[in-house]
Amino acid sequence: MKIKGDAGGIGERKPDGQRVDGESYRVLIVDDSMFVTKQMGQILTSEGFQVVATAGDGEEGVQKYKELYPNIDLVTMDITMPKMDGITALEKIIEFDKEAKVIMVSALGKQDLVKKSLLSGAKNYIVKPLDRKKVLERIVMSLNK
Amino acid sequence: MSNAAGSLVLDGADQKEGQEHNNQIDFKMVTFSLSGKDYGIDIMKIKEIAKFSSFTYVPNSAPYVRGVYNLRGDIISILDLRILFHLPVDKKAENEETQNGLILSLDENVIGVVVDSIDKVIGFSSAGIQPPHPIFGDINIKYISGVVENEGRLYIILNAERICAKDDSVRKAADSALPAAADTAAAAVSAETYQEPQSYGNSLAAEPERDFIRETLKTFKGFSITPVNEEWFTGRFAEWKEKKKQQGADLQLKSADDADEYLASYYSADTGRFWEDDTAARYTRALAAQSGKIIQAWSIGSGKGFEAYSFAAILARKYPGVMLKVWAHDNDLLAISTAPNLVFNDDELPEFLGPYIVMGKNGSSFQTEFKNKIFFEYHDALHPNSLPELDFIMARDVLPFFSQEDQARLFAEFHEKLKPTGLLFLGDNEKPLDSSRWAPVSGARAVYKKS
Amino acid sequence: MRVEYINPFVEASYNILKEVLNSEVVRGELYLKSSSTPVLGVAALVGLAGDVEGRVLFDMTKDTAIGIASIMNGEKLTVLDELGKATITELANLITAQAVTKLHDLGFKFDLTPPALFTGENMEISNSQVEALIVPMKLSCGKIEINVAIRERA
Repeated sequence: MKIKGDAGGIGERKPDGQRVDGESYRVLIVDDSMFVTKQMGQILTSEGFQVVATAGDGEEGVQKYKELYPNIDLVTMDITMPKMDGITALEKIIEFDKEAKVIMVSALGKQDLVKKSLLSGAKNYIVKPLDRKKVLERIVMSLNK
Repeated sequence: MSNAAGSLVLDGADQKEGQEHNNQIDFKMVTFSLSGKDYGIDIMKIKEIAKFSSFTYVPNSAPYVRGVYNLRGDIISILDLRILFHLPVDKKAENEETQNGLILSLDENVIGVVVDSIDKVIGFSSAGIQPPHPIFGDINIKYISGVVENEGRLYIILNAERICAKDDSVRKAADSALPAAADTAAAAVSAETYQEPQSYGNSLAAEPERDFIRETLKTFKGFSITPVNEEWFTGRFAEWKEKKKQQGADLQLKSADDADEYLASYYSADTGRFWEDDTAARYTRALAAQSGKIIQAWSIGSGKGFEAYSFAAILARKYPGVMLKVWAHDNDLLAISTAPNLVFNDDELPEFLGPYIVMGKNGSSFQTEFKNKIFFEYHDALHPNSLPELDFIMARDVLPFFSQEDQARLFAEFHEKLKPTGLLFLGDNEKPLDSSRWAPVSGARAVYKKS
Repeated sequence: MRVEYINPFVEASYNILKEVLNSEVVRGELYLKSSSTPVLGVAALVGLAGDVEGRVLFDMTKDTAIGIASIMNGEKLTVLDELGKATITELANLITAQAVTKLHDLGFKFDLTPPALFTGENMEISNSQVEALIVPMKLSCGKIEINVAIRERA
């Protein structure tokens, strides 16, 4: 979904999902839960992001990233997933594109898992349940890194 | 977390509710059935529970008088409550050799009554007795002194005085009409058919108080008297009876405090607290040398952990360098939850615990390395467990809190889980339910191994 | 079950339910059970692995599941469709994951498996050889029974 140009007018706050050139940031959501995908999608599109694709497991996530590249700005990545877990998928994406902006999203907040993700190249880590404000804050932070 | 609703702290408050209403048992009665309904008579009015095996028929008496009976030389009248109350009498029961009955005693007057079957003794608070109401029974309201509900059953409490009064009028009529009848009858009974009333149940006929105490220990403390502790109970009952007699006090246990007093001499040395050095030494002496590299023990009813820590400490001392694992179980969630982080004042701690204690800001606690040897678990001993084969089982003073049937299951579990060389520690006043499967360890009190 | 495991599950259940439902949640009294468990209609199951083996079962009626899914999705669902099922599965995942995270902070190494959902009438979880901790939770839209069975790896 695109946000019309007038959203960036004087006195109006520029939506988080919009780049300086007025185009939307393009996001890939990787999560095995339809609920989380939907919830994340709602939060992002309401702020002007464009969800270009979704994937239900790590393997599909890596594949979609490669297909979309370079027309992709951001990945949200679940950790506990069937076939291929999110950490492995993260490593594979970074291997393919070391500039990739991947944000981990997990219900698990274990310290060593967070640390491992960041060391593997994730830009940020969001602990579920998803909170709109928290999600947007972390994403903006990651895009500016 | 700002709201405590998600934590365990609330449990204590939850559990107190619902116990208030039975904290004062001041009325006990023997219950029985008549024509399928439940009745009771005040225990104070009952001399004995008996089985009548033969009556001597008295001619010209009211239909509800079954006859006279020789009770150890006293001739008493026997009334049939079913007939008195115009209730149907089971034909089959009527033809049976013996009849269930109660012997009532009021002042000088002693009579027997026949009922369908004797049930049990129940105790409750007299505050729960409702006034008689015609709707409650099929019998004349004048014989009812009240109605009470107990464990889901409705009991009609009979007025023993009114029933005895019935006998008075009979007696007077019989005496005047047949002056010699009673004597003749007595002679006939003593010559041919005299029999002691048979005892009912365990020893209720001889000592009903003994059974009431059993019942009230169960009611107030959930404490069962079974072959595990019967020997102690017999001794304690005699002692208690004597003490109360000297005090001129009532024998019965009227409250949880009374029950606690009764049970005070039951519990083993240092139960519910850290063992003293002599207790630790006593149990240490029972431990044999071990060659294994790992020692596994089970402590049941660990409560707040005092027993498990004490036990683990003597094992750790006796078997240095051996890998020790102690499973400490309790089904009291609140108590067992405090065990892993037990903090205490170290004013008078026994010496044997010394090596395992560290001092902290708020008091003393156990060293982490020592604590890691003990697994405190919320567990019901009757549920399946995943324990390995065990070297030791510590089950002091916990068995009475299970029914005899459940005790049997626990002993079977102990027998299965204990290694051939393993030891079972029971409370000082306890022994195994099935003595053929267990042998006492000589020189140690209440320590057993598999036989 | 080790007493150290209990509070993390109780707290996670309470915190997550309160957060995602955005309303009051009341915890019932905890107890132990070792009998077969009839399932109320919808059961989400999360497996535990690591230092221990075990599972967490979230049991509720279909109506309660639909009620929870409606609140979590911000839209009224009338049947337990794929989205509704995914929502309940995610709820089970959220609670278990938060408990596992808390346990991790206490030094217990637990992992969890992706949740599975079962629905149907007259289902029964055969439980008689396992002792489970029951954490009952009362919600605005019904109740959930959280059934936790964990045993140490030998």
